[in-house]
Amino acid sequence: MRVDQDDQEVALAGMLRPFVGDQMRAIRGTLETAAKNATGELTLDFKRLKYMNNVAFLEINRFVRWAVEERPNLKIRLIISSVIPWAMRKFQVMEELYPNVSVEVYDKALYPIQSVIEDEDFVRVLRTQEKIVYNHERKLLHRHGLRPGMKVADIGCGLGDFAVRLNAEYKPEYVTAVDHSRAFLKHAQAHARSLGIENIEYQYGDAAALLIPDDAFDFVSCRLAIQVFHMPDQLMKELCRICKPGGRVYITNEMLACVTGFPDQDLIRMGYRRYLELSRMVGMDFDIGVRTRELLATAGLEDIRSDLIDINNMNTDPNHFAKVVESWIKFCGDVAASASADPVIFEEIGIGLRAHVSAILSDKGYANWPILAGSGRKPERLMR
Amino acid sequence: MATSNGSAMHSTRHPDSRYSASCLLSQTNPEALMSVSKPTDVAPTLRPPPVMAPSGMIISANFSVTGFSKRWSHCHQMANFLARYASANEDDPERYATLLSTFFNELLEAIYRNHEPSGDIIITFQRNHGRIIVTAEVPASSENLAFYKHAVQLLNQPDPMAWYREQLEHDVPDNDVTTLGLLELAVVYGSTLSLTEPKNGTSLTLNIELPFTEVDENECFNLP
Repeated sequence: MRVDQDDQEVALAGMLRPFVGDQMRAIRGTLETAAKNATGELTLDFKRLKYMNNVAFLEINRFVRWAVEERPNLKIRLIISSVIPWAMRKFQVMEELYPNVSVEVYDKALYPIQSVIEDEDFVRVLRTQEKIVYNHERKLLHRHGLRPGMKVADIGCGLGDFAVRLNAEYKPEYVTAVDHSRAFLKHAQAHARSLGIENIEYQYGDAAALLIPDDAFDFVSCRLAIQVFHMPDQLMKELCRICKPGGRVYITNEMLACVTGFPDQDLIRMGYRRYLELSRMVGMDFDIGVRTRELLATAGLEDIRSDLIDINNMNTDPNHFAKVVESWIKFCGDVAASASADPVIFEEIGIGLRAHVSAILSDKGYANWPILAGSGRKPERLMR
Repeated sequence: MATSNGSAMHSTRHPDSRYSASCLLSQTNPEALMSVSKPTDVAPTLRPPPVMAPSGMIISANFSVTGFSKRWSHCHQMANFLARYASANEDDPERYATLLSTFFNELLEAIYRNHEPSGDIIITFQRNHGRIIVTAEVPASSENLAFYKHAVQLLNQPDPMAWYREQLEHDVPDNDVTTLGLLELAVVYGSTLSLTEPKNGTSLTLNIELPFTEVDENECFNLP
């Protein structure tokens, strides 16, 4: 149980399966104190409560009923996660019974661009993008600690291609791949099934609040995912938590402020500057790659290693590369619409990224796409 | 497999004959009854071969009442074991197992509180296309029988949800807590509950049917 008096929030996590309600006396006392001290609104956070029996539910209900009677002006917000499959069915009755109580599925608002990237056309491009990046990345994975026989977690696995590829090349004991997109997971599951792969387990999950136990994996990867999440430090904390002491956390992120090209270098740079402005409006940071070493160090990791994945039109099929950049233009249009951004921004992004595409396809041109890969080892005793 | 405390859990063949399972109820290291921060599961288990049978037996567990009733935490452990095994071949085993564990746990807690002091408990888990069928054979006295009959009666009343809500609005007497747990299987998860009384009069069989494809609003499961 975690109590945050400033935020007027009590969080319950793990398991609540008592024999009798009396075993929850301490929790009940904490909740009552929080309700007495709260002004305006009290939040009960159940998003990481994986198991709860009926006895515990009745105790929570008893507390809510008490709070509604004792503090009629206090609003009570119950936070649940769509990752916990029973939570909505269980808690919605409280919202119906008590006028001051609301139930909020917190992760519905957590990934604002999810529907954009789940578009079928975009899925095809993502596959191409994944292939391009992996062709460069595969040479680095050994240096970052990946070895055969490891237990591997891939958080933010998307379409699951990375899990499939490393499964073929590195023969891990098993891979647990987590994503918050059901559409992506369906693709991933179908793909793995079609290949007869048995040791990749795909899970619907929230990278910021994983249900995976502590110290469970030898190698934890999170590729091109921290950049689309507005709480990178929280995510890093989770990656470290599930990594075994002595295991390694491996991350990759783009550095779009460093994209350049020839000809029309100024246009290309202007386009990506505007791209970054737009993405930051919706909580994404496609330049967070420059912070890779800092993120790893702040998370408490040691033996930090980093490498530039330098994708350019001389070491990558230009047609594939161009397709990926073209898809970003469409992606930006969808993001701009969802963020109600100034249309000028989108126009300038379009001009810059089209110049980038031209540079990629030009026989005499140069165009890059820099990604920074980094990893760190979890110490035997990580300070949390 | 017999264990030192007399508990046993026998594997039953899965429709695919490569499947089998056994479980040991730990006598020495019970988990805490409540935990609010510690890990509740081990790391993911390897999956059995990906064969999906649309219907048939998934697992049957046979264990002694004496071993099971020694510790409350056995309900949680057994629920998680059964749920994990039954979920092994699903597309998202973790999600499936979490939901099934909730379901099994309520059933096992009801059994824990209402059984005869000796005999065997047999739980079978079957799938019939989109539905899940659980039967639980429980050694029972006439008093136990009365409890389960009452629960079945409540579940089969015209509007069990109204009764459930009424209980939440008032203090539930301790005796009704277990009934409410079983009732929850119906009102929250849409299952049906019926009771069979074998002729010998020393046990009863609970039959629970769950429309599983409809339970998870997120449509994460792809039961055939």
